[in-house]
Amino acid sequence: MELVNKKIDLKDFLTQRETVLQTWPTGGDVDLDEAVAFQLSLPESMRFSLALLNADRTGRTLCQPRAGVALVDEHIALLQGLEKCCDLLPTTIDAYTRLNRYEDAEAGITKSKEAGTSLLNGFPAVNHGLAECRRVVQSLTKPVQVRHGTPDARLLAEITLAAGFTAYEGGGISYNIPYAKKASLEKSLLDWQYCDRLVGLYEERGVRINREPFGPLSGTLVPPFVSHAIAIIEGLLALRQGVKSITLGYGQAGNMIQDIAAIRSLRELAHEYFQAEGFDDYELSTVFHQWMGGFPDNESMAFSVICWGSVVAALSGATKVIVKTPHEARGIPTMAANCQGIDATRQTLNMVREQVFPDSERLSREIALIKREVRAVLDKVYELGEGDVAVGTVRAFAAGVLDVPFAPAACNAGKMLPVRDNEGAVRIFQKGQVPLPDDVLAYHRDLIAERARAEGREPAFQMVVDDIYAISKSKLIGRPR
Amino acid sequence: MSDVDTIAVAKANTLPGMTSLPGEDPAMTATVVLGVIGADCHAVGNKILENVFAVAGFTVVNLGVMVSQDEFIDAAIETGAKAILVSSIYGHGEIDCAGFRDRCIERGLDDILLYAGGNLVIGKQDFAEVEAKFLAMGFDRVFPSTVDLSVPTSLLRQDLGRRAAFGGGK
Repeated sequence: MELVNKKIDLKDFLTQRETVLQTWPTGGDVDLDEAVAFQLSLPESMRFSLALLNADRTGRTLCQPRAGVALVDEHIALLQGLEKCCDLLPTTIDAYTRLNRYEDAEAGITKSKEAGTSLLNGFPAVNHGLAECRRVVQSLTKPVQVRHGTPDARLLAEITLAAGFTAYEGGGISYNIPYAKKASLEKSLLDWQYCDRLVGLYEERGVRINREPFGPLSGTLVPPFVSHAIAIIEGLLALRQGVKSITLGYGQAGNMIQDIAAIRSLRELAHEYFQAEGFDDYELSTVFHQWMGGFPDNESMAFSVICWGSVVAALSGATKVIVKTPHEARGIPTMAANCQGIDATRQTLNMVREQVFPDSERLSREIALIKREVRAVLDKVYELGEGDVAVGTVRAFAAGVLDVPFAPAACNAGKMLPVRDNEGAVRIFQKGQVPLPDDVLAYHRDLIAERARAEGREPAFQMVVDDIYAISKSKLIGRPR
Repeated sequence: MSDVDTIAVAKANTLPGMTSLPGEDPAMTATVVLGVIGADCHAVGNKILENVFAVAGFTVVNLGVMVSQDEFIDAAIETGAKAILVSSIYGHGEIDCAGFRDRCIERGLDDILLYAGGNLVIGKQDFAEVEAKFLAMGFDRVFPSTVDLSVPTSLLRQDLGRRAAFGGGK
């Protein structure tokens, strides 16, 4: 099939669907009519989009952890423990399933049973199949989302949405570039059009499924305009397939003004671009990810990182915050550690909730800067695609116009290099082929020069490396020792 | 994709602004194969490690992320590498690294140095136990994710020097 930003013809979708459902035996259990009936039978309290809509209307920030283990009963116990302290539930999918390596996931399930503990970093939903996934959903009372990192997530979507999950994270860019090495961008965009079309089919039948492009990308010094441009593209692609509930995300960079400006500009820009393509009946919300880079090993220090992210999540007006844990430096947390992260987050959110971050010249300038940068990049994407944002995306990555720092994908140029300025905001050190206006680039250059002077060294790759390690070593900015 | 292509991709991904210094001791320009094993897509640490080992004077063949045991071994054979440096941060390291030493021997790499580092298991476990587990699996050195990167580079220099002195290397 040729990639264009057009709603997939139903006949073509159903033809493709036959193949998708045959890629692993559990696909055979999925029946769309039965799935819709099951989704419609769920209580409103489990409808993810509704929880977000209510939070958005009342100005609350909801908190959601990440969590997933190899076996079903253990996964249920984990989520039942977490739902006592969080607002929204996840089911994080293991890394083998994310690459459609279901045989490896099966071996992981077997070895986990033998070891008496999970040896997988998430829940292998495809292998467990529809009935077992539904058992997970039916054991819970709060809305539950599938969170993963899957370039081809078609079968996973079929099984989990039929099972009663009411939100699905990911997108053709955000679940390829940071999560794969050799996956074709054209194919991942096509495969995610399928996922969005499936969500659109549920929507047509009265079932609202929330869709959330993955905001933080590589989670490492990603400038807001990069993740915003990609989030907006994925939002547009989802709307085109009939999605109505969209949550756009952003990963905390660390400088308060830049982070608040990022969430505010993300919402405004999304409305601008969605409406320019003629969409007006959608629900938009935002998600702020607590720091996605390296964490301090010391748990008290980790709580500090978690709480700083919570302050900014609340002040920025994000609808949802994704919560880290004190075990982050070591990988997968226990349920108890996960609850500690959520408790710390909630306490902070509650204390900041009524407070309003004042408008200021600094904040307005940062918002205006991000908007100019995003528009410059998206203008070029549309131009390269001759008006088609999907076509333009593939060409923009090939040209380095869209360029995600520190991403593993071969189709990503990796020529643009960010570094922090003297106040810790993420700026452009080497522009690669990113089409920012000259005065914007000069502004970035001046800010980096100011830091370089303060540190008495030239900006170089070492400065970037120092920034990458800084938070795990108790500072925001990687100053020389 | 052939191994040569894989290496080319890894090189193409090398960051702008990276520098490498020539090794002071010619013996220390030894070739080492670097990569993140299994289905692990974490690319940031890999790019930093490439730079650190290159600056320390080694010739680094960086296979990037998502590397299988056989891809590591193919690259080591092809380039005559003296060591394979395996990273894993996503938790599946224990599954992905199982049988690596046997596979090396099977493929004719009888005495290659095997290092592993990162968050090698699921969850926060005592590093001494993790280290013992990986040493028993046939790895020569095991490092936590918190290690100062000057430690593995100097240990590698030391281990290679010892092998050269005792004529262990091929």
